[in-house]
Amino acid sequence: MSEEARNLRCSRCDRELVSKNIVFEYLGHTVAHEVPTCPKCGKVFISKELAEGRMAEVERQLEDK
Amino acid sequence: MKLEDATSLTERCFRGEPASCSYACPFHMDIRSFLDKAAKGRWGAAYKIFRNATVFPGIVAVLCEQPCRERCQRSVVGDEAIALRDIEAACLRYAKDRRPESYVIPPKEKRVAVVGAGLAGLSLALDLAQKKFLVTVFDKEEGWGGCLRPHPRFAEFDAEIALQFSAVKAEFRFGTEVKSLDELDGFDAVYVATGAGGESFGLCEGWDPDLFTTTVPRVFLGGALCGATLMEGIAQGAEVSKIIEVFLQTGRAAHTPSEFDKSGRGHYLTHDGAVSVPRVEPSSPEGYTDEEAKAEAARCLQCDCDYCFAGCEMLRRFRKDPRKIGVEVYTDMNVNPPFSTRALTREAYSCNICGYCESVCPESVDIGRAMQLSRTARMSAGVDPAALHDYWLREMDFSTSEGAFASAPKGRDACEYAFYPGCQLGASNPEHVLRAYGFLKEKYDAGIILGCCGAPAYWAGDEERLQSNIEEIRRQWHDMGEPTLIFACATCESLFCRSLPEIPRVSLYQLLAEAEDIVPTKIFSEAAIFDPCAARGDPEMEAGVRALAGKAGVSLEELPERNRCCGYGGHIQLANPELYEEITAHRAEASDRPYIVYCANCREVFASRDKECVHVLDMAFGLPLSGRAPSLQEKRDNSLRVKKELMKEIKDVDFKPESHPWDDLTLIIDADLQKDLDEQLISAADLKEAIWVAESEGDRFVDESGGTTIASMVKRVITYWVEYRKTGPKTYEIVDAYYHRMRFGREE
Ligand code: SF4
Ligand code: SF4
Ligand code: SF4
Ligand SMILES: [Zn+2]
Repeated sequence: MSEEARNLRCSRCDRELVSKNIVFEYLGHTVAHEVPTCPKCGKVFISKELAEGRMAEVERQLEDK
Repeated sequence: MKLEDATSLTERCFRGEPASCSYACPFHMDIRSFLDKAAKGRWGAAYKIFRNATVFPGIVAVLCEQPCRERCQRSVVGDEAIALRDIEAACLRYAKDRRPESYVIPPKEKRVAVVGAGLAGLSLALDLAQKKFLVTVFDKEEGWGGCLRPHPRFAEFDAEIALQFSAVKAEFRFGTEVKSLDELDGFDAVYVATGAGGESFGLCEGWDPDLFTTTVPRVFLGGALCGATLMEGIAQGAEVSKIIEVFLQTGRAAHTPSEFDKSGRGHYLTHDGAVSVPRVEPSSPEGYTDEEAKAEAARCLQCDCDYCFAGCEMLRRFRKDPRKIGVEVYTDMNVNPPFSTRALTREAYSCNICGYCESVCPESVDIGRAMQLSRTARMSAGVDPAALHDYWLREMDFSTSEGAFASAPKGRDACEYAFYPGCQLGASNPEHVLRAYGFLKEKYDAGIILGCCGAPAYWAGDEERLQSNIEEIRRQWHDMGEPTLIFACATCESLFCRSLPEIPRVSLYQLLAEAEDIVPTKIFSEAAIFDPCAARGDPEMEAGVRALAGKAGVSLEELPERNRCCGYGGHIQLANPELYEEITAHRAEASDRPYIVYCANCREVFASRDKECVHVLDMAFGLPLSGRAPSLQEKRDNSLRVKKELMKEIKDVDFKPESHPWDDLTLIIDADLQKDLDEQLISAADLKEAIWVAESEGDRFVDESGGTTIASMVKRVITYWVEYRKTGPKTYEIVDAYYHRMRFGREE
């Protein structure tokens, strides 16, 4: 099962996560990406797949700038 | 050291400089490339190099006295020099097309007269004719060749000159003796090359040997007339041609910038490991066959330094010229993102700062120092990738605060000796510190300083933190009556040597080796000693360890290279995990024998690679083999245990480590995951904290299908994620954990 397709709930708000475009910041640069987010409190979920995949790649690129 | 001085760190590197033979060659030919092409049988390409350097290759291949052979480094290996002329002759035979190139450039209007059709004058005439100047050559003889005309092989030389002039226009006035320079009034420049004892028009007086000028501005002198040999005369022709060209354009004679520093001699290399190969003898009197010539050319050692590259995985991976690295350390600081980007990037944080390059470099270039300076510069400019070193800086904070303890021996406030185990020894195995202290207290009435030398700050480039830590150590040392410090860690000792040189130092291993009652156990009957990089230049420490191993009766093997960094140095693990993996694998494979190590970090690196190894202190104190590498959490706990026991013993105080509400959570982590977490520097304490906060505040995600909970926590520059399952009261099974460095904000 793909990480992104997981059935996650924000336990505080008891809501299912929805995909939202979120701004990421690193070393003075910003990037936006769609990630599962709680529709009520806005808490963001980052999957391992994303953290160790695309995010790690961008982190590396920004560190190398 | 100022940033401006960064370039001076690497400028002595001579990589890429011509080989010693080229300095001796009258034409400064790039002999290395010529032979490289020749060895590959690329005769066309070899010929081009030969022709462009020597103008009349067909003459040079016969008459050059080969001064290059006097400076051929084949001699270093005990062999005869490369047979250059024989290969050159072969090159002429096997190059398919020797027709000179013709250049499409606009014709010039300036007229140049050459007096003397010997090789010096011809060489200049040819060069200027190629550049489309109007060239006229005068000679009193009935043809060209000067002093070579009576030579038995003149027919050959004659053909060679004709060949080289076949693509240019030049006027020859043979049988025409120039008696006075007045006859040449219509020329814009004159080159007098009338040969040894030839007509000089009274201009030898006042001749400038650098620019070949005379007291008459448009008249130049050169060749055998001025004492040059035949070969030098040819080489001068090309040089004077450039000077005259500048003169014709600007009215002033001047050199054009040249890459070749004629005053140099070229560096000799040690050629360790190069195999002796005898000179190839030609099978026929006609000279080398194609194959023979290739084989002889292949004897060339291609003398160019790559010593640091040959051994350093980092340099090999990034393939950047050392001089370039030095320059980039400096220029990177003027970078203004996003308009320009840094040139030195990942490599700055991928260097072990191990000093290996300096140790093998004939010019002692320390590339690691340049890399460290780059880190320092970035840190002070606030543009460092903090996440790469944050974990170790947190550990340093811990070791210098909660984990720190300094005291003279029990009941005293000053001492002559004090043990400085460093932060890693006790973290790795508390018995190492406790047993060593037991020994030192008995024998030397030693005090103790638990802390961190500051290596994590040094490697992170955090100069400020490094300095304040040094001040703190100096203060502690002073308060203890300025004792001699006893070191077990080579990294600590080398840092003290650099930053606290006033503190007298001695190695623990030396003291143990000298003690009669220390009878080390022979854990392995055969072993190799793995000296840490930081012990380079510390012969006492190295000898102490060898003496201990010898005492135990271990048969020792020396590694082919000593003091290689195990991989831990410079804290490159997060910056470049692939490189770290490559380095640690290479070090583990340096010998089939088990290793005896004396650095806690080396031991952990090898233990995590399942390389059999033992810390020499395990042998000295007859301890059981330390086994697998401790987890991050165990290391913290170990350090606290050391402090607790020593405080109790020396001060009779019960040390209570800082407590946190999450301390009593129990985590269940399977061995594979644990290894993974340790590699990524995710500690159990951080996971506990994240779980505790999530559980007590209800701030978490639940995965309904999998029955797991997911929590996250931001710690300084890192965001940790942990997925877990509650399996009992205060007990959590960790399903997974990971981290990222980017910070997420709100919805766009
Ligand atoms: S071995 Fe080759 S490069 Fe080295 S000095 Fe001799 S000819 Fe030159
Ligand atoms: S060892 Fe490295 S730094 Fe030193 S001269 Fe050779 S290439 Fe340059
Ligand atoms: S200090 Fe070590 S890791 Fe860094 S460049 Fe030199 S040899 Fe390579
Ligand atoms: Zn919510």
